Amino acid sequence: MYMFFGLVVLVLITFVFYFYFSLKKREKEITKEREESTRRIYELAILKELGERVGYSLDVEEILQIITGSLRQFIDYTAVGYVVINPGKLKVNTHIEKSVSREFLSEMKSRMVASLSALTDKTYDLENIDEVLSGAIVIDEIKQNIGSLFNIPLVIDGEVVGVLTVAHVTSGLYKEADMTILYKITGQASEAVTRLQEVVKKEKGKLNAMVESMGDGVLMVDSEYRVVVANPAIKRIIKADVSKDVSIFDFIDILGGKFDIRGKLEESVSKKVSYVSERINIDEVFFEIGVYPVAHHLAKGGNQILGAVVVFHDISKDIELERVREEFTGMIVHELRSPLDGVKKIIELIVSGSVDTGSDKFKEYLNMAHQSSASMLELVNDILDLSKLQAGKFEVNKEKANIKEVIENRISFYKISADGRGVSLDLWAGENVPELLEFDPQAVKQILNNFLSNALKFTSKGGAILVSAFVYNPKEALPNLDRSKVSVFPEAADLKVKSPSLCVAVSDTGIGIPEDSIKDLFHTFKQAKLNPVDKEIKGTGLGLVIAKGIAEEHGGTVGVVAKEGVGSCFFFTIPL
Amino acid sequence: MKKILVIDDDQFFSKTLEAALPADKYILLSAEDGEIGLEKLKSEKPDLVILDLMMPKLDGTAFLKRLQESPDLPKVPVLVSSNLSSVKKISDVMTMGAVGYVIKSDESLQSIVQDIERVIGQETKKE
Repeated sequence: MYMFFGLVVLVLITFVFYFYFSLKKREKEITKEREESTRRIYELAILKELGERVGYSLDVEEILQIITGSLRQFIDYTAVGYVVINPGKLKVNTHIEKSVSREFLSEMKSRMVASLSALTDKTYDLENIDEVLSGAIVIDEIKQNIGSLFNIPLVIDGEVVGVLTVAHVTSGLYKEADMTILYKITGQASEAVTRLQEVVKKEKGKLNAMVESMGDGVLMVDSEYRVVVANPAIKRIIKADVSKDVSIFDFIDILGGKFDIRGKLEESVSKKVSYVSERINIDEVFFEIGVYPVAHHLAKGGNQILGAVVVFHDISKDIELERVREEFTGMIVHELRSPLDGVKKIIELIVSGSVDTGSDKFKEYLNMAHQSSASMLELVNDILDLSKLQAGKFEVNKEKANIKEVIENRISFYKISADGRGVSLDLWAGENVPELLEFDPQAVKQILNNFLSNALKFTSKGGAILVSAFVYNPKEALPNLDRSKVSVFPEAADLKVKSPSLCVAVSDTGIGIPEDSIKDLFHTFKQAKLNPVDKEIKGTGLGLVIAKGIAEEHGGTVGVVAKEGVGSCFFFTIPL
Repeated sequence: MKKILVIDDDQFFSKTLEAALPADKYILLSAEDGEIGLEKLKSEKPDLVILDLMMPKLDGTAFLKRLQESPDLPKVPVLVSSNLSSVKKISDVMTMGAVGYVIKSDESLQSIVQDIERVIGQETKKE
C-alpha cells in the first residue's frame, strides 16, 4: 500500500518536475523568441531611423556617424570606427566604448585601412591620416588586445568609399547574425545615398546643361568671390578662352571703371540685395548686368549666404532696335517735312508777288506744289496702313474678283509713265488662272501699285517689266513662264507655298538688289539704300512692308528674287 | 555776279530759291547729289555752296569730309541747309567747316536769302 503510494508520489513528483522543466524550457524559448523579436523590431526600427536620417544626406561621413552612433544598442563592442576616403588623404574616426590601449587602436586602424586597401586595390599611407578619437580614455596599461573584429565596406554607386569596423577584446564574439544586420544597415544606407546621388547627378546635369546653353552670361561666385560657375557665354563676353577657368580678376580687368563688379558682389553678399545695372558696354556690345545673392535655406530656419550670381544680359538688339526706330522716325519726319516745306516756300514765292500768275513759271510752281502734296498724302496713307497692320486692324474685304482684270487695270494706269520712260510693261497669265478668285481687289491693287512703281523706279530706258500670273500647285512643276523679255523669276522653292496658290510676280530688267539688302526689304524700320534710276523719286520702303501685311492677311506670302545688274522680281501668293 | 551752287536732291528747293534770289546779282547752279556737286564745284568754282545733308550717293556729311580732306578742291564757304534739326548733327557739320546751318522748314525763303547775302558779304570783305 505504501509502496503504491510512494510510487504515485514519485510519478507525481516526476510529473511535477517534468512539467516544471518543460515549463522552464518553454519559458527559455519564449524569452529567446522575445529576444529575437525584440531584436527584429529593433533592427527594423534602426533601419527605419537610418533610412530617415540617411535619406537626405549625401555626406558619407555623416551616414557613417549615424550608423556607428546607433550601433551600441544591438552589438556589444569595445571600439567602433570607420575610415573614409577624403580627397588627398584618409580619415579615421574611432569611438572607444571601454578604455583600451594605444596598441589596440593602432592595430584596429591598420586592419581597417588594410581592409579598405584590399577592397579598393590601392595602397594608403598610414602616416598621412586624419584621426579623430572619442569616447573612453586611452589607457596603455590595459594589455588586452583585439579579440574579435569585423569590417563592413560602404559602397556608393558601385564604388567603395569607406569601411566600418567593429572590435572587441573578447575573442569569438561576433556571430553571423551580428554581421548580417550591419551589412543590411550599411547596404540600405549606401542604396539610399546612391539613389539620392543619381537624382542629384541628374538634376545637376540638367542645371549644368541649362546654364551652359544659356545665351546670357552666367557667373557664380562663393562667399569668398571664388568663381564656382562660369558658363561659355560669359567667357565669350569677356573674351576668355572657353576651355579655361576664369577668375574674378578677369572680370575686374575687362569691366574697368564701367562696373564695380567686386563692390556689387560684396554688397549683394553682405546685404543680401539684388542689383541690376544700367547699360554697360564691352566694346560694341551692350549689357545689363544683374547681381543676385545666392542663399541656402537651412532646415533649422534662416539663410546661409553661399555667394552670388552675376548675369550678363545682352541688350544690344534692343538698343539696335531703338536706334533703327529713331532712324525710321527721323526719316518719316524728313520725308514729310521736305514736301510740306516745298509747298510752303512755293506759296511764299507766289504771295510775295515775284512770280507772274500768267507765266509758265507760275504753272510749274503750282505743279510742284501739287506733286509735293500728293507725295505727302501717299506717305500719310502708308503710315496709316502700316499702323493698322501693326495693330492687326487692317481689314481685308475678300470678294469674288477677276485677278487678270485687276492686273490689267494697274498696267493701264502705269502704262503712260512706262511709255514715257521707254520701258515695256506687259501681262502674262497662265491658262490655269481661274476667272474668279476670292481676294480683296483694292488691297491687291495696293500691292501691285507698290511692285509696279518700284519696278519703274529701278528700270532704265529700253528695259522691260512683266507681270506674270499663274496658279502653282506644290505637287506639280512650275508652269512654263514667258522668259523672252525678263529673266528673273521665283523658283518653286522661293514661292514657299504649301497648297495650290495664285502667284503674281512682277519681274523687271532693273538694277537688281544687293544680296545683303534683300533681308531688310520687308522690314518695317529699314529700307534698302538703293539708287533709283529716276532721282526725283524717293521712297520710304513702307510700301513693301504694307504689301507683305496685305498678302499675309490673305493667308499668302510675299517674296523677292534678284540678280544684281540683271533684274528683280517681287511676287505675292494667295492660297486658292 | 556771284555763283551759288545748290547741292540738294529736293529740286523744289533749288527752284524756289532761284526765284527768290535777285536774278541780277546771282547765278544759281544746282546738283542733285553730292557726287555731281563735287564735279560742279571743280568745274564751276562757285562763290558759295548750299548743301543738303540727306541725299543719295554722296550725302552732305561725306561731301564736307571730302572737302576737308582734299587740298586740291577749291575752298568755298558751305552753308548747310537741311530739315534735320538735331543739335548733334548741327554741331557735327559746324566742326566740319560749314559757315552756317539753316533748318529749311524753320526759315522763310527771304531769311535764307538774307543768310546767303550775309555769308557772301563776309567772304567779299575777307578778300
